[in-house]
Amino acid sequence: MEDYDYLFKIVLIGNAGVGKTCLVRRFTQGLFPPGQGATIGVDFMIKTVEIKGVKVKLQIWDTAGQERFRSITQSYYRSANALILTYDITCEDSFRCLPEWLREIEQYANNQVVTILVGNKIDLAEKREVHRQRAEEFAEAHSMLYLETSAKESDNVEKLFLDLACVLIREAKQNTLDNNESAPMPGEGKNINYLSCCNIN
Amino acid sequence: MAADNLPSEFDVIILGTGLTESVIAAACSRVGQRVLHLDRRSYYAGNWASFTFNSLLLWIEEYKAQQETPSTNSVQECSDQIENGEEVVFLSSVDSSISNLEVFSYVSEESADDEQPMAPVMYSLLTAVEEINGCNTEAQHMDFNACTEGDIDPQNLQGKEQTSQSHEPCQLKENQKDQQPITSPEKVEVKKKITYSTLLKEGRRFNIDLVSKLLYSRGLLVDLLIKSNVSRYTEFKNVGCILTCHNGKVEQVPCSRADVFGSKQLTVVEKRMLMKFLTFCLEFEQHQEELQDCTEMSFLEFLKCKKLTENLQYFILHSIAMVSQDAPVNNGLKATQHFLRCLGRYGNTPFLFPLYGVGEIPQCFCRMCAVFGGIYCLRHSVQCLVVDKETGKCKAVIDSHGQRLGCNYFVVEDSYIRDDQRIQRTYKQISRAVVITDRSISHSESDQQISLVTVPPLEPSSPAIRMVELSSSSMTCMPGTYLVHLTCLSSGSAHEDLAPVVSRLFHVPSICTEESVQGSEENEKPVILWVMYFNMRDTSGLDSSSYNLPSNVHVCSGPDDSLDSDFSINLAESVFHQLVPDEEFCPPAPNPEDIIYDCDQGEGANFENDSHKEGVVIEGEDVPQENKQQTSSSETTASIGQEMNKYDTQSPSQVNNP
Repeated sequence: MEDYDYLFKIVLIGNAGVGKTCLVRRFTQGLFPPGQGATIGVDFMIKTVEIKGVKVKLQIWDTAGQERFRSITQSYYRSANALILTYDITCEDSFRCLPEWLREIEQYANNQVVTILVGNKIDLAEKREVHRQRAEEFAEAHSMLYLETSAKESDNVEKLFLDLACVLIREAKQNTLDNNESAPMPGEGKNINYLSCCNIN
Repeated sequence: MAADNLPSEFDVIILGTGLTESVIAAACSRVGQRVLHLDRRSYYAGNWASFTFNSLLLWIEEYKAQQETPSTNSVQECSDQIENGEEVVFLSSVDSSISNLEVFSYVSEESADDEQPMAPVMYSLLTAVEEINGCNTEAQHMDFNACTEGDIDPQNLQGKEQTSQSHEPCQLKENQKDQQPITSPEKVEVKKKITYSTLLKEGRRFNIDLVSKLLYSRGLLVDLLIKSNVSRYTEFKNVGCILTCHNGKVEQVPCSRADVFGSKQLTVVEKRMLMKFLTFCLEFEQHQEELQDCTEMSFLEFLKCKKLTENLQYFILHSIAMVSQDAPVNNGLKATQHFLRCLGRYGNTPFLFPLYGVGEIPQCFCRMCAVFGGIYCLRHSVQCLVVDKETGKCKAVIDSHGQRLGCNYFVVEDSYIRDDQRIQRTYKQISRAVVITDRSISHSESDQQISLVTVPPLEPSSPAIRMVELSSSSMTCMPGTYLVHLTCLSSGSAHEDLAPVVSRLFHVPSICTEESVQGSEENEKPVILWVMYFNMRDTSGLDSSSYNLPSNVHVCSGPDDSLDSDFSINLAESVFHQLVPDEEFCPPAPNPEDIIYDCDQGEGANFENDSHKEGVVIEGEDVPQENKQQTSSSETTASIGQEMNKYDTQSPSQVNNP
């Protein structure tokens, strides 16, 4: 019934104001700026992309503003397939907070989660405070992918999500190959709507 | 993670992120109220929280620090924020809802405290936590997934070996290093030996609940989760079996039809008798003539009067109805009926458990609140309320940063209330024990189940104890361990109430040396690795007349002692209706999958208008949300019907005894 081969949950994190919502909106709707308040009531955004004939449905979750006062719920991280950790290249502070975010990831996200570090706002190159090389080194040290984007100019936004989708497909195929029953991780339980009534013996 | 300033006006300010407060927050925000939701703690869910092993140790540490230096409520100076005609009402800055906390560790590690593995051990252990946290870089490289449930799989064993060796760099004491090589060869044959540092290393795999609850599959919480679409934030697992402590043994309780007929403890006559009785309970309201002479009886007397055998009386009273011996007949029948109606909706028992622990549920409601614009601040409290002398209402609060925040309503969890604002100062207590064990209490073939175990009172005067055993598949404990929660209404301290049962059901190592633990491998009973006892205040008996507070301040009780969360959901709904009388309680949030975005035009404004009040899908050509909801609820009804038929139409004799 559902028209896709894979469904992945992608979760955005990072300081307030680094452009997380803009990235999602640019990718899912081609909009910039997304307009304030428009995210009220939107839990996550959906976009289905096709990569080499494979249909991938991306479910992209935003923080709902809970990052503003460092109050993201742990349950937000559960069962994410990928995390996009975003900072603002024109804001040193947003980069310095990254280790703090990594600690949260380590605590609450599942171990197989794919993490990508994103430096956003490269359209404001003249105001850059964080050098690309520094960020690349940081990403490498923490085994993250790295990409710089501009939600405003739409630079690398498609690439960000498509690259991520490619990695996730590869991992998913790998997991099926290994037939990794030792990794019951997310989805071990079921969403309440999908728990079937048929396992009554 | 920069913090900025809060807006200065809200419709509702909510202090405390327990279940009741979180549901109120979600409900208010959902219908367009401006909500500020605060908690003085650094974590969500208050006394409903779930902790990793390491953060639980910090929680214990915090409790101890508070016990040693009881901080008094300092009277802050807020006069500069107060205008004429206003007065302040201070809140408590100390949480005293937890008491009698005791911790015993039985895993080998601390040689110095071997003989008395008592609470003082915690100090040195906590240092260990810190130091191990300092070694995070090493820890990161550990592949936690290498450790899994199947102990037989050689690959897994290898993984475990690696895991336990990789933490060596973090070990602190000489003797631990010595132990390592000794234990390693044994691991191949014997179960992996779990040491204290294993618990710390794998600490993040634990999600230890302060309050132990299950969800009745047709209870108020499940209904609310589905109705509001909050269910999309979390996943559940069925509780696999219901056990009871009967004649000193742990036995399975036959509850579903399949169980009844598959049961080996029951005679054929008993099976028929039980089925007949359960079928009667399902629609007992329609059999008033049978009940006429029994209305004054207790449920137990009624069971006797129905000529059920002692076995059956026992199962029904303690494990199905789960009521006390002197409960009135009507309560017992209702409880039995509820149990039976919940049976089979999702599985073989009436219960569900949220993956990652009960603490997830309040957070899910908080997420819903935030999605609809609610503002969240942890580590942020309220010092005092600003009360208008003329109207007697709370018009603002002053937060812990000294900012004045206007509000129409203030909702607060009981533990923030000072004693001098209480009219009634007596309340119940809940006794809790959290036990980490090495194997399941059930002898069934599947050891990855979640089980509910009912333990009737040991003596008539002692309380009935409810026990929930969680396996690692519930994502609340590391593979190779089990997390057992014991709960009862207190008659003494948690230790006094629960230790007798703990020592009855589990093997308590006398000395925490390796030999004793190894030696007990033959023992049938699970071995205790670590146990914590504490009491939690239960203020569910209080209502607004118990507090001396302005009428627009609503106090929410923390968790109550019952197995379900109905009390908290009812309370949340009733507070919500007092705050916003004309709005629906938690209407379904639009399903993001049903929101069709047209890429060529901004739909923002359009969406905003609709989403607040209606809860109907925006620009959705898809099935409107409300219709969808109906569809699913009619399916639900269908399955209720099916289940009832199972009791009605098939008479016991038709089914073969396996």
